[in-house]
Amino acid sequence: MTNWKELLKDQIPAEMANLIDTYEAQMELRKQGKLDEKVFAEARLRKGVYGQRYDNGQRHDGVRTRELEYPSDEIVKGPDTLWDAPGMQRIKIPYGGLTAEQLEVLSELADEYSDGILHITTRQDIQLHYVHIDDTPDLMRRLAAVGITTQEACGNSVRNITACTLAGVCHDELFDVSPYADAMTHFLLAHDDVQDFGRKFKVAFSGCAGHACGLVKMHDLGLLAQTREINGETVRGFTVFVGGGLGTVPHQAKVLADFCTEEQLLPLTQAIARVFARLGEKKNRNRARLKFLVAKLGIEEFRELVQEELKIVPPDPRHTDYIPRVSDFVNAPAKAGMALNGAPLPDGFAEWYRTNVYKQVQSGYSTITLNTPLGDFTSEQGFELADIARQYVGDNIRLSVEQNVVLRWVADADLPAIYRDLCAIGLGDANAGTIVDITTCPGTDTCKLGIASSRGLTAELRTRLIERINLLPDAVRDLKIKVSGCFNSCGQHHVADVGFFGNSRRSGNHKMPHFQVVLGGQWQENAGSYGLACGAVPAKTVPDVLEALTERYVAERAEGENFQSWIKELGRKEIKAMLQPFTKLPSFEENPNYFSDWGDSRVYTIDDIGVGECAGEVVSLFSMEISKAESTHFEALLALDDGDFALADENAYKAMVLAARALVRTKHLDVGDDYDNIVEEFRSRFYDTELIYDRFAKGKFARYLFKRHNETPARINEDYAHQIIDETQLFIENVHTAEQRINGVIVG
Amino acid sequence: MTITPKRLGVKFSLKQAPRLQPDDILPIFQRWIQEHTVEGMLIDVIDYKHVPDGPGVILIADEADYAYDLADGQVGLHYIRKRDLPDDFAAALRLVFHGALLGAQALEAEAPADLIFDYSAAKINFLDRMHYRNEPNIFANVSDEITDIMRDIYGAAVSVVRVNEDPRRLFAVRVEALSDDHDLDDISRRLSASRQSA
Repeated sequence: MTNWKELLKDQIPAEMANLIDTYEAQMELRKQGKLDEKVFAEARLRKGVYGQRYDNGQRHDGVRTRELEYPSDEIVKGPDTLWDAPGMQRIKIPYGGLTAEQLEVLSELADEYSDGILHITTRQDIQLHYVHIDDTPDLMRRLAAVGITTQEACGNSVRNITACTLAGVCHDELFDVSPYADAMTHFLLAHDDVQDFGRKFKVAFSGCAGHACGLVKMHDLGLLAQTREINGETVRGFTVFVGGGLGTVPHQAKVLADFCTEEQLLPLTQAIARVFARLGEKKNRNRARLKFLVAKLGIEEFRELVQEELKIVPPDPRHTDYIPRVSDFVNAPAKAGMALNGAPLPDGFAEWYRTNVYKQVQSGYSTITLNTPLGDFTSEQGFELADIARQYVGDNIRLSVEQNVVLRWVADADLPAIYRDLCAIGLGDANAGTIVDITTCPGTDTCKLGIASSRGLTAELRTRLIERINLLPDAVRDLKIKVSGCFNSCGQHHVADVGFFGNSRRSGNHKMPHFQVVLGGQWQENAGSYGLACGAVPAKTVPDVLEALTERYVAERAEGENFQSWIKELGRKEIKAMLQPFTKLPSFEENPNYFSDWGDSRVYTIDDIGVGECAGEVVSLFSMEISKAESTHFEALLALDDGDFALADENAYKAMVLAARALVRTKHLDVGDDYDNIVEEFRSRFYDTELIYDRFAKGKFARYLFKRHNETPARINEDYAHQIIDETQLFIENVHTAEQRINGVIVG
Repeated sequence: MTITPKRLGVKFSLKQAPRLQPDDILPIFQRWIQEHTVEGMLIDVIDYKHVPDGPGVILIADEADYAYDLADGQVGLHYIRKRDLPDDFAAALRLVFHGALLGAQALEAEAPADLIFDYSAAKINFLDRMHYRNEPNIFANVSDEITDIMRDIYGAAVSVVRVNEDPRRLFAVRVEALSDDHDLDDISRRLSASRQSA
């Protein structure tokens, strides 16, 4: 056994293995210059393989911009994205749910392919940074062997589906939304109807209206648990929200349906996806999220379109197959529940208990939050945490949108012991969910779009706040701070009491890092309202700004008044006046410290900002689909080289069918995966009509497909394999030419 | 023939607790990029000092990373070679040992009174679970060869001990020279000579 593909071949589901093999073949085609760089970029993003800062081969070192001369500097993995430049691998963790074994594999990968750090994102994903693209297929295989996928973690696709970390153990929820999030994840993964979006599509589930956890109102699609009495029975369902989103222009989601039953959940989602794919903006990616379509059409018209679409969504047993299994969904303790037994408690336990422990609805159990600084933990902590999980909670591990690890189903009697064990591995800090537990995006550390150092600022604020946490009044302790490195809101600054997002200002001949101050956003009520942008201040003044704000809040707030209402009461004009003293910019000579960012000693510059891949390139559905045919053809060639002629034939035939399917789907999205159906649709739409005809060869290349489809070869030898591979190549070229003639443009 | 692992790291620990904090290292690494102080195509500096016992502050390069590493409760310089490792294991180990030595010496030169490395011992990390699962038979297979290579480097007898027996952890060994009279210049000369002959 000399490679992971061979070693893990029996542990990876065939469908997942096939997706990874296709991606690996696409990599090879790109390296050979045979696959368009934009098409490959979108294919790569849909595998969660993301660009990282400086991957365009340039970096400002504080004095000048230097060329980074990567070894294979002629090869790109996307526009202006060099092949050898380190990148980020995003790994989907649906609703943040992890097993101990999965945590161990993630830790192994952080050791071997990254920098030893696992980063939790605000969408309950794990990200590994500084990963070389050549390592990504094996990384994906090792994940797939334990049931994790990176499929559609980035790009214009359905991103990781999030849900409350307390789902199933919460006092306020109507029911556990986890199995529904799980079912939707599996249903939508690589689904035909989610392959042609102009931008990403984010989904969240929440079990209750009042608390924050699910944040459904800031999502493209938000599902809020509801129940109804129908014919004397309590029926489960969801209030459906659409068109929410943060980003540069935040939108609150609108109610699409007050109540949709669990039977309607997946078909309705499919209908929404189809309307978005059909009518969503494709050219201007800044207006391509669902929120813009809903705003443009109005919720009533959007609702009507979805209802019409729902009528033609093809029946699919998977729409309801999962429902009988909902009650079996794993949400069970590893140990019997027991109350704290009065034994002596470790130092620091009381404070940790106050802030990090949530008493579950199930008697004798608690959920604990591990205050994970900046969302980072080491691979070593990952292994040790897996041991702790096995000892106390089994596989009840979750990741939160506040970038923490959460362990559920801790028997109360075990709380002192687990606290001791967590302290021993550096994960026993108190103050989870308080002002020190700051959410942050990667910012200028690794993000191509970062303008200011969100992580540097967060680390600084965290250090300062921890020093005086015991002196802070409760009203300040419980505030939420969220930081983004730019206006794109990955740090979710709009829904924090105090939010910051990076920008820059000029002072003399120098740029100075700044943060826009966003106040009064509402985390509660599922991101109930967004904060007010109140002005930009130099990055180095942010700790002082925070202190001034919180001191005034404590001094002026009415009894019991929360931060949102105090900010509203204070008004934007007064807030602006309060920030005014901080906005005076010194010259470089007066205070050079202002001209470097937090956690970065270089003189600040915005020259390193690149082109983001958040949205991916807008690539036509045909381009994505035909690239699968091409990579399958490439796999046929590899099989031929290996002397496996039967596999060569199988892949060549499959490549022809995929090419035909790519063309059929430009006219008929619901053609499905059945070979007979695809070939029949292709024949009637393109062969019988002569649309596929080549100027000279007429229908000859299409007949290669029909021949192979109708006749299983009696004898497969090298000559035959050569021939069918050549015929497949000709057919794929024929499809390309026909598509250009019929539809005009391939890459949008 | 011993297989060269996909990635290979060598860490030298400090002799005593440093007076320099990770915050002090960050501008040093940034300056190393400006001045190209150490070998490699230097890309960026990443700060993980907020993570206890973590990789600390890392100077990321294309071929290798230089980490002011806080792991194992021992502050040190961890050099991790990520690519362009020779197929010959002995050559690879010498290359990585030399990279770590140069990195540690460069850091020492920044603050000679505060950063003093213990070069008589090193931890060698095999970042490749495909070929180096952390199992006793793996250690049995490679310990003699590692011993030979390190004896050549140190010019003295060495002990080679497996660091951790947990099969999930990276395979790693701790090498210690058994004589106090090894000379750093001699070590460097031997490493340079072996690299030139390779």
